[in-house]
Parts: sequence; C-alpha cells; structure tokens
Amino acid sequence: MPSRRRTLLKVIILGDSGVGKTSLMNQYVNKKFSNQYKATIGADFLTKEVQFEDRLFTLQIWDTAGQERFQSLGVAFYRGADCCVLVYDVNVQKSFDSLNNWREEFLIQASPSDPENFPFVVLGNKVDVDGGNSRVVSEKKARAWCASKGNIPYFETSAKEGINVEEAFQVIAKNALTIGDEEEIYLPDTIDVGSNNSQQRASGCEC
Amino acid sequence: MFETEIHDLSDDADYAAASQQGPSSKAGHGISNQSYSSEPENAEIVYLKDNVTIHPTQYATERISGRLKLVKQDSLLFMSWIPYKGQSSNARLSERDKNLYTIRAVPFADIRSIRRHTPTIGWQYVIVVLSSGLAYPPLYFYNGGVREFITTVKQHIVIVRSSEDANVFLVNNFQDPLQRTLSSLELPRTISIAKSASSSSFTNSPSDGNLERLDGGPRQKGSDAARDISIQVLEKFSLVTRFARETTSQLFRESLVDDYRANENKKSNRSSQDKPREIVSNDVRVTRSEVPVPSDPLEFDKLSLVWGKPRQPPLGPEEWATFLDSEGRIEDFTALKKRIFYGGVEHNLRKEIWAFLLGYYAHDSTYAERQHVMAVMKSEYETIKNQWQSISPEQAKRFTKFRERKGLIERDVVRTDRSLPFYEGDENPNVHLLRNILLTYSFYNFDLGYCQGMSDLLSPILFIMEDEPESFWCFVSLMERLGPNFNRDQNGMHSQLFALSKLVELLDSPLHNYFKQKDCLNYFFCFRWILIQFKREFEYDKTLRLWEVLWTHHPSEHLHLYVCIAILKRQRAKIMQEQMSFDTLLKFINELSGCIDLDAVLRDAEALCVCAGENGAASIPPGTPPSLPVEDECIYQQDDEAL
Ligand SMILES: Nc1nc2c(ncn2[C@@H]2O[C@H](COP(=O)(O)OP(=O)(O)OP(=O)(O)O)[C@@H](O)[C@H]2O)c(=O)[nH]1
Ligand SMILES: [Mg+2]
Repeated sequence: MPSRRRTLLKVIILGDSGVGKTSLMNQYVNKKFSNQYKATIGADFLTKEVQFEDRLFTLQIWDTAGQERFQSLGVAFYRGADCCVLVYDVNVQKSFDSLNNWREEFLIQASPSDPENFPFVVLGNKVDVDGGNSRVVSEKKARAWCASKGNIPYFETSAKEGINVEEAFQVIAKNALTIGDEEEIYLPDTIDVGSNNSQQRASGCEC
Repeated sequence: MFETEIHDLSDDADYAAASQQGPSSKAGHGISNQSYSSEPENAEIVYLKDNVTIHPTQYATERISGRLKLVKQDSLLFMSWIPYKGQSSNARLSERDKNLYTIRAVPFADIRSIRRHTPTIGWQYVIVVLSSGLAYPPLYFYNGGVREFITTVKQHIVIVRSSEDANVFLVNNFQDPLQRTLSSLELPRTISIAKSASSSSFTNSPSDGNLERLDGGPRQKGSDAARDISIQVLEKFSLVTRFARETTSQLFRESLVDDYRANENKKSNRSSQDKPREIVSNDVRVTRSEVPVPSDPLEFDKLSLVWGKPRQPPLGPEEWATFLDSEGRIEDFTALKKRIFYGGVEHNLRKEIWAFLLGYYAHDSTYAERQHVMAVMKSEYETIKNQWQSISPEQAKRFTKFRERKGLIERDVVRTDRSLPFYEGDENPNVHLLRNILLTYSFYNFDLGYCQGMSDLLSPILFIMEDEPESFWCFVSLMERLGPNFNRDQNGMHSQLFALSKLVELLDSPLHNYFKQKDCLNYFFCFRWILIQFKREFEYDKTLRLWEVLWTHHPSEHLHLYVCIAILKRQRAKIMQEQMSFDTLLKFINELSGCIDLDAVLRDAEALCVCAGENGAASIPPGTPPSLPVEDECIYQQDDEAL
C-alpha cells in the first residue's frame, strides 16, 4: 500500500452527552445530519483532509462518549491532541456549566506540554432549536466565559442546519496547526477515510 | 523399514510384527465403500479398524462406534473416524450427534501428538491432540490394535516418542513454530527440510533422505533443561479438551495407575533407551522461510473440523415441550442451556425462554407459580414506577439529580434502534416504554442510576417481551450480571479488559506481543463490544441469537471474552500485516460492525474456551462480570457524580 507524506492534526471533541458532538463531526466531514445517530459508546474518529497554503493536512477528529462515567477512558484518547473542541447545547444550562470541568479534565488527562496556550475552541450547538426560543445560555454569557479562559474562539452552530460548522472547523484546524506543525508522520492511505469509508459507516450502518 | 529403524520405536516384538504386515494387506479388508466412500480415487487405505468407539458421556448406551482409518494420498497421511450409520441402540444419540464427532480425513499435518493408553484392564485407547491444542475424544479400540495403529502411522510419517512420556508420540510438523520449538528441543539432530510453506507438504515420505540418521551418542549437558522447557510448552498447548477430560474422568483411577506405571516404565526405559535415541547436534535449527506475520499458535482456519463446531437449528416448540414436565417445570435445565448454546431458540419461543435464561423465572417453577410471580412482580413494578411518576414538576425543579437523569434517558431512548420498525417513527409508544423502564430502573437501583449503554441492553428485551413489567424484571436480572459494566469507577469494564488481555496472552501470544509493542494492551478497542455485549456489532436478530447463547453460560459464563478473541483471531493477520496502531486498530474494530460471521465466531469461541480450559478460567479474576461480585457490600459508589 503506498503511503504519502501528510501532517496529522488530532482534534478531540468533548462535551456532555447529547450536545451534538457526533452530529457536528458528521456534518463537518460528511456534510450530513441524521437524527438516527446512536449515543457514542467508547470512541471513534473520522478524518478529513484540509489544505492550508498549499499544504495538505489530515484532520483526525475524535468523538468520545459524553457521560462522565466514561471519562476514565479519556487518557488513552486525548494523548497527542493538537486542539480540543468543547461543545455545549445552548438549550441546556447544565451542558454549559460542564464546560469548565471538561476543559480541566482534558488538561489533566492529555497533559499537553504548554497547557496555558493549548488551543481550545468552544461551540454553542443547536441554535436552530425552536427558532432560538428555548435557548437558556446567551451568547454574551458564553463569550464571557471564553474570554476568561484566555480568549477561546467561540462559534454558535447548528449541526442540523449546518450553520457555522465549516467555519468553526476551519479555525479548529488552524489552531491545531499552531502546535501540530512539527509532527510529520506517515499515514497509509487506508485511514484516509474522510471521503469514502466512514461516510458509509456514518450514514448507512445503524451501529 | 527405514523409518522404523531410525526412530527405533519398536520396543518389543509386536511392533516389529505389526510393521511386517504391508499396508496393502490391510487395504484388502473388504471395505464397503458404498457407505464410507470418503476416499478419492488415488487414496490408499493403509490401516482400518472396526469397532473403534468414543464415549461422549459416561453412559454405556451413548457410546458411538465407528471405523478408524488411515488413508494415504499423494504421500500425505490422513486419519478418519466415521461412526456407523443407523445401528444406534439409543434414541438420544441422534445422527446429528454422531456427525458432531465424526473425524473427516484430518491430515497428520494438523496433528501434534498421539497419546496411547494401554491399561492392563479395560480397553486400549488413544487421544489425538491437534496442533491447535484441541484433542479429539479418546478413541477406544474395542478389538485392540493400538500398537498396530501407531506402527502404521510411524511407517508413513515421522513420529517420535516423547522423551518424557513413553506413551506420547509427537508428530513433527515443522511448519508450526511451536512444533518447531518442540522439534528443536526434542529432536536434537540436523534437519534440513527445504519445503514449501504449505503445511500439507510437511510429511516426509519414508524414502526422503533428508533425515540424518540418529545414532547413539552422548547426551549433551543442556538437554535436560531444554527438555523441561519443552514439557512446559507441551503442558501449555497440548490441552486435552474439557470433553476429553470429562469422558476420561471415569478412568481417573485407572489413569493414575497407568501413569504410575508409565513413570516406572520411563525410569527403566530412560536408562536403557535414551542413549540410542537421543543425539544432540549443535545445529538443531530447522530451515524456515521468512513469514511476515507470526503464525497463530492455534491455527484457526484448519480447525473447522474440530468438534462441537456445527451449529444446530434453533430450539423449536416440539423440542421445547420435551424439556417441560406436566406442571411446567424444566426438568433438565443444564441440558436445555446446552441445547440453546448450540442453536439458540426460535423467535416465537424467546419470550417464554428468555425469562428462564435471565433468571427471572426459576427453572423449577410450575406454570401456576409463574403466574403468581408475574402478578406479584407486576404490582411491584407499578410501585417503583410510581415513585418517579409522582414527582410533580414543581418538585422536579428542586430535584436536579432526577431531572438530569431523566434528561439523559430521554436523549438516549430517541437514539436507540430507531431504524427498527418496532422503535421507528415519531411518538413511538415503544420508545416511551424504554424511557419508563429505564427511569424506573434508575429508582430501583438508585445508586447505579442510568448509564449510557443501558438503553442498548434494554431494547432487545422489550422487543422480545413486549410487556413493560416483564421487560423491566428481565432487565433487572440482566443488570444483576452486567451492572458492574456501568460502575462509576469502571472497575467492571477494567476487570474484563484485563481478563481479555490475559486470555489473548494465553491463546495467541504473538498477537499479545503485537498489542504490547503497539501500546494497545488496554484493549480499549474492545470496550464497546464488552460494555453492551456486542449489541452494535451484529444485525439485530443476530444479537438476539448471540445473547441467548451467552446467557446459557455454557461452556463458560465468560464466553463473551472468548468471542472477543475469536473475532480478533479472524483479523489478526490483517491487524499485524497492516501494522495497525492504537488509532487505526480502534477504527478498524469499530468498522467490523455488521461484518462479523456470528456462527463462525461462536464456534471458534467455544473451541478457544475449551482449549484454554482451566488456564483460561484462571486468567479471569474472580468477580469479573458477568460473574456475581465477590463481596457483598454495595458496589455502586456514588460520591463522584451527580447522575
Ligand atoms: N435540533 C438540533 N438537534 C441536534 C443538533 N445536533 C444534534 N442534535 C440532536 O441531538 C441529539 C444528540 O446528538 P449527538 O450528536 O448524538 O450527541 P453527542 O454529543 O454525540 O452525544 P453522546 O454521544 O451521547 O455523547 C440527537 O438526537 C441529534 O439529532 C442540532 O444542531 N440541532
Ligand atoms: Mg456521540
């Protein structure tokens, strides 16, 4: 199997169960939304190729289970992350309150070399629900929290409608690059699944 | 003959006499080829013995007699044992049972050793151990002929008597790394066999001049230690099947005497015989071709003929009726579970039988008792359900834990098997039932609460039971065993993943080493498999089948771990060839979903379990789910999480 030289950027998506992590990832990679995704058990990832200034990168996006009980598995998955995406549901207060916990948990388990400057991105998801009428966390509040944590970039998204998803991941990839630039690795073509393999999996299979 | 002299197995005149009889003289024994026409044209029968019998149970009426043959074809030797047709004295012995035990032309390339037992009282028998480590059940020679059998084998292929046990004959398969080890340890001599990689071509024809003649010579110092290692290897891999052990247990006392005798023999033998047989050469290496992937010590694919393998059709209503007495008790629950293990149950019977398998109904309860239990449990369910139903919206506002738990459940049930007609569509009442049952369970076991994955476990139960209270209680029974999977500290999962790694180490050390090298020994890639009992790995109906098989706890309550290994083993070559790392392995495993052959995997899992035997059981720490926990204390700590 031929292998090409790539740069791998590893991104971890965290947030409470049901905030839409799996949906966001699939919307970004496969441009699709399905309300038949199952709750994530364990972990999985999708990959997507992105281009910056004539250079190709492979974005490896990790989706883990949201329930706190499974956090002890995290350490195995967080290792080597280049960017961490924190997701909450703008309609669920608790999911916003948890952001701090997710962020700290990540820093402990991934133990990045420079935690102060480790790139995070926050997404307030499901802005489409009920035309925004059921939302309980205001944009202002969310931005304030992001500012307090070292100016974390913030996006309001809808995985369902595909709002702001592409834009958010552009920034995610770019920020991952700031620390992921150095690692050059060989990737066999087989895991270059962003476009074909995983697409079938995510949509066709009920698993 | 040439070979005979080389290995000098003829320790008495009978051997010599037997070897005088040419193979052709045996071929003329009036074979009725109509009924046993398994041999192709160019095959030659070199040995044939009638009334060779296996004893599947200790009951004399359940013995199966047949014809044992050694067949030579293209210089390869095969062994077969075909039970006689239609002369069964016992109705319980179906043709299917017989087929199960039939040995169809197993090549000697697949045989590791033959152990002979020639007790002074009782029948002589041999146990044939395959290179996989599995063994056929003892073959009893009612008309004698064990020596003749060994002698004939010896005439056609290379076998050596184990230096440690005079009754064990090792068959040399130089393709097998284990056998290679054994050979280099046990056959101290120069061998230069430049052969193709095909395992079927390993047999040396008697005229093959590649074997250096073994002459008498002094034993080298190191050889005792070497022999000890080889014995360990033998002990580890030449596991006699549990079956064989069971059926031979009746002979325990006899065996002990036998072994004692063998030991005595050995002592005397060694002094007189070792020297001429053993010569240590400095070059004990066997030429081998480079293989990219370490071969599987159990060599799975060749094993399909090893037994227990064929799956049976599911248990149907007529057969089910035979298990019940007039008042509705299951008379032989063990037999029933065994039957279900081999074939599952027909869909229409699941509602009735799952309640027994899960332990909701006692197997020795009567129809009347069950009716009573059902009524009592129904009302008990309503009582618990009422505990959360009576929480008013006002009260809920001050009851965060309840709200959050409820929210989590509600978010999960709408993501559970929605493509199934039973759960599909908006406002589906069955989705609502899932929610009710899970909420009620989180009050029934408030400490454990709700955890993701539970909805996956409940879905098939509700689908089968189609009744809210009954589903609830069956789910409770299931959670009694699988609850620890969802413990807050994840210890139930960790102990299973740990046991899994121990079992892989035992059953496939090259794969274990590979995982070790790739830093994958945490086996997180099997997390989903274990947490929800492969629920997401198979189509829905296959999951139902798998679960009822697992719930029989036959042949082990931890069969699910052997299922993991069976799946991994089928992919081991790909995993190692492609040098999968933690990431790629996880993805690869996740994507196996929907592509796993359940029947094949179950057959392998059974074989693995049997093969691992007590060593396997010893690899699994006590209290590992689904075993009941060892301590009595509360296992669900609740200090670290709100839900
Ligand atoms: N209306 C709306 N619904 C969404 C959106 N994103 C996700 N959902 C729904 O929210 C539910 C949860 O989405 P998932 O993507 O499975 O959530 P998750 O964060 O991966 O959850 P876990 O795997 O349990 O950790 C699903 O029913 C989705 O259909 C969104 O942007 N808008
Ligand atoms: Mg998810």
